[in-house]
Amino acid sequence: MTTALARLLIFPGLLFAVPAAWFFLWVERKAVALMQGRVGPPFMQPFWDFIKLLGKTTPPRNGVGGLLMRAWPLIAVASAAGAVGLLPVLPASGGFEGDLILLLALLELPSMCIIAAGFSSGSIFGEIGSAREAVLSVAYNVVFLLAILSIAASQHTFSLEALAALPATPMRWLGVLALLVCLPAKLHLNPFSLPNAEQEIYSGPMTEYAGPELAMWELSHGLEWVAATGLVATLAAPYIATWWLAALVFVALMFVIVLGLSTLASATARLAIDTTVRFYWQCTLIFAVLAISSALFMRFRS
Amino acid sequence: MSILTMLWKNLWGGNRTTMFPARPAVSKGYRGLVKFDPEFCGGCAICKFRCTARAIEFKAGKGEFVWSYDPGQCTFCGRCVEGCIEHAHKEGRTEYALSQESAPPPIYLTLGELKHSYTVKRKPPVAKPAAAAVKPPAAAPADAPQSPNPVPGDAQ
Repeated sequence: MTTALARLLIFPGLLFAVPAAWFFLWVERKAVALMQGRVGPPFMQPFWDFIKLLGKTTPPRNGVGGLLMRAWPLIAVASAAGAVGLLPVLPASGGFEGDLILLLALLELPSMCIIAAGFSSGSIFGEIGSAREAVLSVAYNVVFLLAILSIAASQHTFSLEALAALPATPMRWLGVLALLVCLPAKLHLNPFSLPNAEQEIYSGPMTEYAGPELAMWELSHGLEWVAATGLVATLAAPYIATWWLAALVFVALMFVIVLGLSTLASATARLAIDTTVRFYWQCTLIFAVLAISSALFMRFRS
Repeated sequence: MSILTMLWKNLWGGNRTTMFPARPAVSKGYRGLVKFDPEFCGGCAICKFRCTARAIEFKAGKGEFVWSYDPGQCTFCGRCVEGCIEHAHKEGRTEYALSQESAPPPIYLTLGELKHSYTVKRKPPVAKPAAAAVKPPAAAPADAPQSPNPVPGDAQ
């Protein structure tokens, strides 16, 4: 049994999440490279990238705008790390547990920070990237929230602990499937890599960032990987009482999800923004509404 | 589905990345650095006049000329080589002084680093076999040049 603080700091919190973030970033880059017939980066590359960026200088930023630009990556890292710490991989013995709604809010904060950072930078590429991120966020979040609601409604609880312990129902699987459909957009992967489309708008909101600030953005992106795949892994994993086996299954499931997302990223090309919105609002929304209505119907019947 | 099959094949088929310092093979007809063979050069300077990138310099001297080539300025258009071939044919020779390598040009760090200059001694003019049968005009002075084609470099 672990306390909430240990969960936040050790597993699946910072001590696990930061190396896991670098590892998953490497897995994604390596898998895409191998599937495209390239060599790909060495194992330690994301870590060395981070260290090298930390050693560089940042451009001088003055005034409130500059202060905000420095603050956005830190807020993004903090919220993503908090989201990872909330995942109920190991059974907790007390303290703050949080719930699905808080986890969703923390998962959404990095995206909000990216939008704000792009507009704060004053760069045209940053502004276009932020506008795209905002539209993308509106597109996939409707489906994402409906999926979470359908899971909560089908299991009669918003508590993460309870959700991890309860056996999965068919409605929950539908919700998990809807979450999986939203993950590429949440992690800015192909075919929904619009906000950071390198060939069109360089790195979008990240264009004006360098040095330790960019390192923080990279870290927050890696932590988002861990939090988002960890959420799906928590909901998909069966309840296991043995703590080490539960942790092992959790990591293995995350790894499988990362591999699946990498395959999707290398097999697809970037979609236009209107096609992305149409995909989420026309195709996937129907699926999510079906999931939540079925979950509510089942709840009222029971 | 074909894209997934392709990804699967790529995954197990190894990578196609050429590791440094190896360089990829060039395609057929690739135009690389311009090679100069002083043995065949007659010093006509056609190449210099055809070079729009001003990568070729030609300085005529007494009894010799200096031919220089700067790959840093060269656009590898091949116009100099074409001119050299045409001119060589016109002269009735089969060999020509310029050709292009079929390998990527080397990496250089400073402008003019790869520049090469050749000082070539002018060869004594050789009369064409057909031209030898034609009698020189009577009005020509005795000290007129023997070559039927005056070298443009001499005018400079």
